[in-house]
Amino acid sequence: MMNKRTPIQSVILYALVFALVIFCVFPFLQILSTSLKHPIDWGNPSLIPRVLHLDAYKELLGLMPVKEVDVPASIQRLLDNPALSAEKKQMLLAKFSSGSDVFPFGRYMLNTFVISFVTGICSTFLASLAAYAIARLRFPAQSLMANGVLFVYMVGGVLLMVPLYQMSVNVGLASSAGGTIFSLFLIYLIQTLPVAMYMLGNYFRTIPFSLEEAAMMDGCSRVEAFWRIIMPLSKPMLFTVFIYCFVIAWNEYLFASVFLKQYQDFQTLPLALQTLFTSKNAIWDRIMAASMLTLLPVVICFMLANKHLSGGLTDGGVKG
Amino acid sequence: MSSVILRNVNKSYGNLPIVKNLNLEVKDGEFVVLVGPSGCGKSTTLRMVAGLEDITQGDIQIGQRAINDLPPHKRNIAMVFQNYALYPHMSVRENIVFGLKKSGADAETIKQKLADVSEMLKLDDYLDRKPADLSGGQRQRVAMGRALARDADVYLFDEPLSNLDAKLRHHMRSEIARIQHQYNMTAIYVTHDQIEAMTLGDRVVVMRDGIVEQVGTPMDIYLQPTNTFVATFIGSPAMNLFEATIDGDDLVFDQYRIPASKIANVDLHDLGSHDTVLVGIRPDFFEDSALSSPSDNLFEFNDIQVDLVENLGFDKEIMFKLGGEDAKARLDLRSHVKRQEHISLSVDLNRVLLFDTSPQGMLINAGEV
Ligand SMILES: Nc1ncnc2c1ncn2[C@@H]1O[C@H](COP(=O)(O)OP(=O)(O)O)[C@@H](O)[C@H]1O
Ligand SMILES: [Mg+2]
Repeated sequence: MMNKRTPIQSVILYALVFALVIFCVFPFLQILSTSLKHPIDWGNPSLIPRVLHLDAYKELLGLMPVKEVDVPASIQRLLDNPALSAEKKQMLLAKFSSGSDVFPFGRYMLNTFVISFVTGICSTFLASLAAYAIARLRFPAQSLMANGVLFVYMVGGVLLMVPLYQMSVNVGLASSAGGTIFSLFLIYLIQTLPVAMYMLGNYFRTIPFSLEEAAMMDGCSRVEAFWRIIMPLSKPMLFTVFIYCFVIAWNEYLFASVFLKQYQDFQTLPLALQTLFTSKNAIWDRIMAASMLTLLPVVICFMLANKHLSGGLTDGGVKG
Repeated sequence: MSSVILRNVNKSYGNLPIVKNLNLEVKDGEFVVLVGPSGCGKSTTLRMVAGLEDITQGDIQIGQRAINDLPPHKRNIAMVFQNYALYPHMSVRENIVFGLKKSGADAETIKQKLADVSEMLKLDDYLDRKPADLSGGQRQRVAMGRALARDADVYLFDEPLSNLDAKLRHHMRSEIARIQHQYNMTAIYVTHDQIEAMTLGDRVVVMRDGIVEQVGTPMDIYLQPTNTFVATFIGSPAMNLFEATIDGDDLVFDQYRIPASKIANVDLHDLGSHDTVLVGIRPDFFEDSALSSPSDNLFEFNDIQVDLVENLGFDKEIMFKLGGEDAKARLDLRSHVKRQEHISLSVDLNRVLLFDTSPQGMLINAGEV
């Protein structure tokens, strides 16, 4: 099938591939480079920083030494006045050590991680049950249901944003932070389920039914066969689906921006990044470092998924 | 161990009947083989016993239990699948003990069974491998081992050897026979291969289009097939059938007149109701007249022109024309017939079968084997 390439053809091919890769990777290199540059270096168009400057990362990750509060001499004298109550002193000090300077990146990361992880786990679990039903069982309106869930995926989020928020207000979920996060979690679940089901359903169909039949002959009920045969055999796909759901929730901005607007403490990273961009803290290296740290889990996830996807776990079970 | 009874069992897919009114009793410790052409409903029957297909009509009993409504995992049946269906994510060891563990056997029993089975099937060296790292024959043995390790009431085999090459198939065939005798299992074995059926079965069930054509010991079926379908399906090469007209006491075709009275179990009054009959002679029952000792009951087909000789080692198959049909005979190595030669073939009339010319082609001269 494959034609033998001449050396010239090979060179051209590799050059094109290389160009394409650079084109895709360039924005990420730019982010990385800027995040590592010292402010004096920003004007430098080179991707390689003159000096490696990790302060932005240290700051975001809370590794910076706590700064001594810089208080003007006149105020310092006021503070030294023993007549002033401790409470008053605190208030005065607070004026100068504005907390808004600190961006609680770790907090946001934890928020995002928790909701993404829970979404990933729940969505993968529910999707595997639903996918099994659609792939293996016969019931009325089966194909309608199988295709209906995909319909959910086709409706744009912008259209649903307001009605969904209204709904969560109406049922009283939006009035507490917990309820809001729960509604957001439900929305992420609904957003990720269709594709998760689709992926798992197609995968289950590749597992020969006779494996389950063999398990049933060996004394497993259908449910046990599902847990002991189908699920272990689907590990790579389950993992991939988990990562897909995790990443969707990790990157989600639209719904988070509506639902979490008033709950500063529970905001997720995409939302926090947006806040960071427009705040007075919009310092390039810090923005870029935050972007880099937000990207990192996504990149790790895809590398893991890639590694898992290569193995065919069902090989060798059946003949022919 | 238990007996299996199928009573008036029917299976249809939609309106299409697949298994029609099947009755069969498999006795405790008996090895019954279902044989028939592809698509005749053998697997469907087996799968109904296993509980993997539901029964459209009729009853199935294992031991004293009616199992129609029992889900497969409660039937205590072990099954070997045609495609082996090994658990790909488990090692050979785990595959073999999976069912045992599930049934709650204690560690000592499991260990003992595993040792027994792996020794018997020569799997000792592969216990830690995954099915993907085994050859076809090894996978087949693991599939057997997984079933044999179980302490099941009934063992089902669905064409377990059909994916093996000829040599391995032969080997495994004898292994299965040996194991079955050793364990005295109640087993139902499905195959489309009539040699497997003949060599393995205590009794053989010949099926066609969802109907049982005959049930009997291999010898019954070989010597007394109830109709032309069974007669030609069992035995290789297939039985020769010649159409003969009845003229008084003689059956006539070509220039030959066979005295009907000398054929075993023939009632001449019965024959009187037919104009023609089919004369069935197995290729194995022809002899080279030059070598046969003369006897009262031999009939001689003289002046036969040999069209083709195939040497098979100990025997040779020859092809010739008889009664306007292509016919075959199997002669032993003492015979030196050559292509285009004219020879005489003789046949023991006790071995000649007569079938009526109805579409079913029923055996006329049924009798003791
Ligand atoms: N799920 C099904 N739906 C419709 N027809 C089927 C189904 N399964 C099997 N059949 C038909 O039943 C017949 C018997 O099949 P089977 O029992 O597998 O035959 P075999 O004797 O070769 O094992 C075949 O003609 C097959 O086409
Ligand atoms: Mg079959």
